[in-house]
Amino acid sequence: MWLHLNFNSYFKSSCLTVAGLALIASFNMVNASENGLGPKITIQESSGESCVLPSEQMRREHPDLLKHDRIQTLREGVRAKADGSKLDGSLKQCVNCHAVKDDADKYVRIDNDQHFCVSCHQYAAVSIDCFQCHRDIPEGSSNFHALSSHKDVNYTNVVPGTYSLTIEDVANIAPEVSSDDN
Amino acid sequence: MTINSEKETHSEMESSRRNFIFGSVAAAGLTIAPGVMLYQTANARSLSEKTSSKVRWGMLVDTSKDVDWNKCVDACNKEHGLANENHSRDDQKTQYIRVVDVKNKGTGYSMSLPVMCQHCEQPPCVDVCPTGASMKRPDGIVLVDRHRCIGCRYCMMACPYKARSFVHEVLTDQTENTPRGKGCVESCNMCVNRVDNGQLPACVEASQGAIIFGDLNDPQSDISQLLAKHGGKQIRADLKLNPGVHYQGI
Amino acid sequence: MKKLRFLEVEGNTKGFYTFLGLFGLISLVGILAAYYMEHNGHWVTGMSNQVIWGTPHVFAIFLIVAASGALNVASISSVFAKTAYKPLARLSGMLALALLSGGLVVLLLDLGRPDRLIVAMTEFNFVSIFTWNIFLYTGFMGIVGIYLWTMMDRPYNKLTKKAGMTAFIWRLVLTTGTGSIFGFLVAREAYDSAVLAPMFIIMSFSFGLAFFMLVLMGSYKYTQRDLGDYIVNRLKNLLGVFVAAVFYFVLVYHTTNLYSAEHRDVTIFILTNGGIYTFLFWVVQIGLGTAVPLFLLYGPTGKNRTMIGLASLLIILGGMAQLYIIIIGGQAYPMHLFPGMEVTSSFYDGVVASYAPSLPELLLGLGGVGVTLLLVTVAIAALKFLPASLADEIADPHSK
Repeated sequence: MWLHLNFNSYFKSSCLTVAGLALIASFNMVNASENGLGPKITIQESSGESCVLPSEQMRREHPDLLKHDRIQTLREGVRAKADGSKLDGSLKQCVNCHAVKDDADKYVRIDNDQHFCVSCHQYAAVSIDCFQCHRDIPEGSSNFHALSSHKDVNYTNVVPGTYSLTIEDVANIAPEVSSDDN
Repeated sequence: MTINSEKETHSEMESSRRNFIFGSVAAAGLTIAPGVMLYQTANARSLSEKTSSKVRWGMLVDTSKDVDWNKCVDACNKEHGLANENHSRDDQKTQYIRVVDVKNKGTGYSMSLPVMCQHCEQPPCVDVCPTGASMKRPDGIVLVDRHRCIGCRYCMMACPYKARSFVHEVLTDQTENTPRGKGCVESCNMCVNRVDNGQLPACVEASQGAIIFGDLNDPQSDISQLLAKHGGKQIRADLKLNPGVHYQGI
Repeated sequence: MKKLRFLEVEGNTKGFYTFLGLFGLISLVGILAAYYMEHNGHWVTGMSNQVIWGTPHVFAIFLIVAASGALNVASISSVFAKTAYKPLARLSGMLALALLSGGLVVLLLDLGRPDRLIVAMTEFNFVSIFTWNIFLYTGFMGIVGIYLWTMMDRPYNKLTKKAGMTAFIWRLVLTTGTGSIFGFLVAREAYDSAVLAPMFIIMSFSFGLAFFMLVLMGSYKYTQRDLGDYIVNRLKNLLGVFVAAVFYFVLVYHTTNLYSAEHRDVTIFILTNGGIYTFLFWVVQIGLGTAVPLFLLYGPTGKNRTMIGLASLLIILGGMAQLYIIIIGGQAYPMHLFPGMEVTSSFYDGVVASYAPSLPELLLGLGGVGVTLLLVTVAIAALKFLPASLADEIADPHSK
């Protein structure tokens, strides 16, 4: 009777294992990108090849980068790199560039699968709490669109803290900007 | 080296901007954009450097000026995206700055003044924080690093000015310059993102000159000269915390 | 004196499973309440920006203070070499660990961001008494664990005295640390006092022993084991001494506060016109929590087990009231930014803050007690914590 019991439990556990593996395998088929591996992430087409770092490097290193930069910005007050062509530690710069719009031309929010950060993090099952505090979409009027690349902007001509805008732009912006997107 | 020369150009632009003298209510001088006024400081810092204790930011509130202090509260709320709590009771809602009405029962004298985080030199909130989230920058600004805050609220117990608030509910639609969310403690941070970018704190701007902002370490700054000439008092000065916010007329 | 024998409680009985289920249910409800509070945010509680720490903290601090006091019985046996308490030492150490666990569970689940516990474990600000408490509490767990091991593992029995001394000193530092959480706050009138640290130590003696007595009498009653009068009488006399000592410290605390103009107002508030806090002070803390137990323990009913149990319960109730007044009353009383002036604002300056315990807070606090009792129940069945019999011929060193 003891053997009989064991056989039943082995059978059950192996069935479950097979079913589980099949289920996991099916995820890959649903979310495969063009080359068949990994999730399909929505990235701005105009964003070019790399912004802060090459995308492969960003994928691996962005947690450390975020953590390092936020310590520098928040705790030490460093808001620009020594040569003005790099971004600072503010998350809003990342959000402004990587913001995704849906078919109704509205910015996609954090509860939507198409949000840039969510699209990958949901697949990787790594929960992020950044957007419990940080704004998940760009602020400002719909006229304010993210630039394709920050490489060519001359930061010496820019009002500090507003990296995408030049002095002329800021002069033209109304003081009270409210987003009519969401 | 390219870095130095770019830095020079950058700081040249900075110092040329910073040469605009901070004026009184009818502000003279060029404004870069409406509402943006720059202050003069002898120890201008480039944004690629860390803050240092060469500068100590402070504020001087003249309570005798005929100002509607609620405008300062409104300006602060708008700047930081406050007052967006839907579920919290009134005593659970965040206030960075509040208007306190004081009346002397004996003499009948009454007045109002704005009270915000006093940015003490020896902040009790920084001493008690178990993770170091409550911190003081070298330039004197006291703020909460919300990445590290675990929401224990000990700093709220310790603050002698009741300056800190706790976020009691899930928040959305934060402003991009002031990330804030459920479970963390927050308080007035002297509009640190504005100050770093050469602007004035929101309440100072809305005060029509009744609040003066400047470098307490610089004897030539407006605030230091006013304090030297007319004096100023700190709230609960007996606790010897040496706050950076001074008041005239209390 | 007959030989002392330790024996696990038989777990496979209906009564045992009932207790297990009951305490498990209370713990589960507490954890669910914590999830509700964390998921929605603290707006669902009675806590606010004025009364920052509420009912969960009253429970948590009670349990933590009682934890260090529960170790007293073991300390008396190891450090002060009173052989009469030796049979109780294992239960004492185990109860201390269970109480501390329950208290810490409540404390940690009430955090605004309990998901950031790992941050609290890695980033430390050593000026903060909270940081020291993290090390004191976890160190306590380790040290009492080792102490229990020396008691329960025969080859290591000779180390019991040293382990007991270490544990004794450690818990004095721990309770001083807990009292200092409040004693170091210069901002609030009710807290700015050095006497809070030793007062917490004395409170720990009283609450810890009261809890210990209830657990001892309860576990022996429900396992139908013999508990002789010798042990019970010694413990209840000691308990009475501790209750009187707490009263002394309360007297000192309030009297010295009355003398200094700076702290007089908050004392008058608590003693006379504080509404709920005045009621809790006189009726619950002093009346039910001090006077009645002293009468029950030392009066004509002193030998009656039920009355002793009732006295212990009332001491616990009085202790909760005392902590409620200290923690919540101390916050409700306004801070005086402008001494002598009448002050109003939109942020409740100048007025006594209102606070009402909410259901989630209460359930979380009770959940902590449930965790403690659940751990005790499991422990006494798993390992040899309880002597098989504490009848007088075993427990009384002078019996023939």
